Amino acid sequence: MTRETVMDKARLGAFLDGELSPEDAAAVVMHLADTPGDQAWVDDLMAANAALTQAFSVPLHEPVPPALRALILGDEAARDQATVLRFRARMRRTPALVWSGLAGGVLAAGLTVALLLPLTAPDGLRPGPLAANSPLQTALATLPSGVTQPLADGSEVMILASLPTPDGFCREIEVTRPADDRLEAALTCQRGAGWSVQVVIVERLSDASVAQGFGTASGAEAQGFAAFLDRVGAGPALTPAEEAAAIARDWAR
Amino acid sequence: MTDQFRRDLVAVVPKLRRFAGSLVGNPQDADDLVQAAREKALRNMAQFQPGTRMYRIVQTLWLDDRRRNRTRGTAIDPDDAALSDEGKAARLPEARLMLADVRRAMAALPQAQRVVLSLIAIEGLSYKEAADVLDVPVGTVMSRLSRARAALLPQLGHSEGPRQ
Repeated sequence: MTRETVMDKARLGAFLDGELSPEDAAAVVMHLADTPGDQAWVDDLMAANAALTQAFSVPLHEPVPPALRALILGDEAARDQATVLRFRARMRRTPALVWSGLAGGVLAAGLTVALLLPLTAPDGLRPGPLAANSPLQTALATLPSGVTQPLADGSEVMILASLPTPDGFCREIEVTRPADDRLEAALTCQRGAGWSVQVVIVERLSDASVAQGFGTASGAEAQGFAAFLDRVGAGPALTPAEEAAAIARDWAR
Repeated sequence: MTDQFRRDLVAVVPKLRRFAGSLVGNPQDADDLVQAAREKALRNMAQFQPGTRMYRIVQTLWLDDRRRNRTRGTAIDPDDAALSDEGKAARLPEARLMLADVRRAMAALPQAQRVVLSLIAIEGLSYKEAADVLDVPVGTVMSRLSRARAALLPQLGHSEGPRQ
């Protein structure tokens, strides 16, 4: 009962930062499985990393300012406007693989993080299972990624991506609530017969890039969900065809 | 080769803008920093490849700028000001942090800690890469990172994971 020994925070941080050797990382994983206090601290740190990533992510959604681009490329190259900048998903370093592979079964079950929740809207997303037959539950079951769907309360939901996990699927979603000036980015995963909200990051809509029409450029990295996806052992996002197939078979694996 | 250098430089601009934004807190100063870094990089094109070295340029210029005291001061986002004026969030007992608060908490960190946290937690650099960018030992990176997180975490809400 009281055999819990707290691990050095710098070591836990190094674990999350991918700085430990695979052996040391595995030892931390074992430690966390027995030490809920340290596990909670690691969850907090993941939440903080996700929030930091999200808080400064706007430049990643924007094209390089034309003036700066022209200055760098010189005039002759400035005509070449069509460069599409893509960024590799944040590097999954070795311990992150240990995290998802070795730890997936041990740790994934308890992951439910209420991240930075300003629950100022009574109907805002909260971590936990969604009510059966709720509009959002239905949207998660049937809506393909990239399509906006109005919900009854004046909000809109868009699925950003669907990702396979060892237990089923997770979907990244964005709910915009113009009336409350809120944008909610959330990671939802299959739990039992329905979908459950795992993580929510909330931003004021007027602060968010979606206001400039870049909302759909979001991804796991920009949302800061990479660590959570590692944690649940999520694989790469489904292609549209794979997603359509998953929807057609009602998300059965 | 030169063209490639320029293209590589354009490719890292969004990340440099993000990094600069996390340091200075307002987009205008951030773009000024990136712009200055561009000049420096193009001038010294022969000496390095764009990459983590660019963070170093941005960071050095930022420090120079702060020493000269030319930055526009700590940014107050007008929207943040509006928020506190309206006091909506404060009136609601259940209100907690929003991303604007994350930005504020970041801005409140000592600059050495802010840089380290940004490079590692946001830009995804390894401790060694961050140490190279900052020209300090890895141990210094680790201690600054620990202090930054110790200061930041209590302000950023909490998880509701299993806890005892």
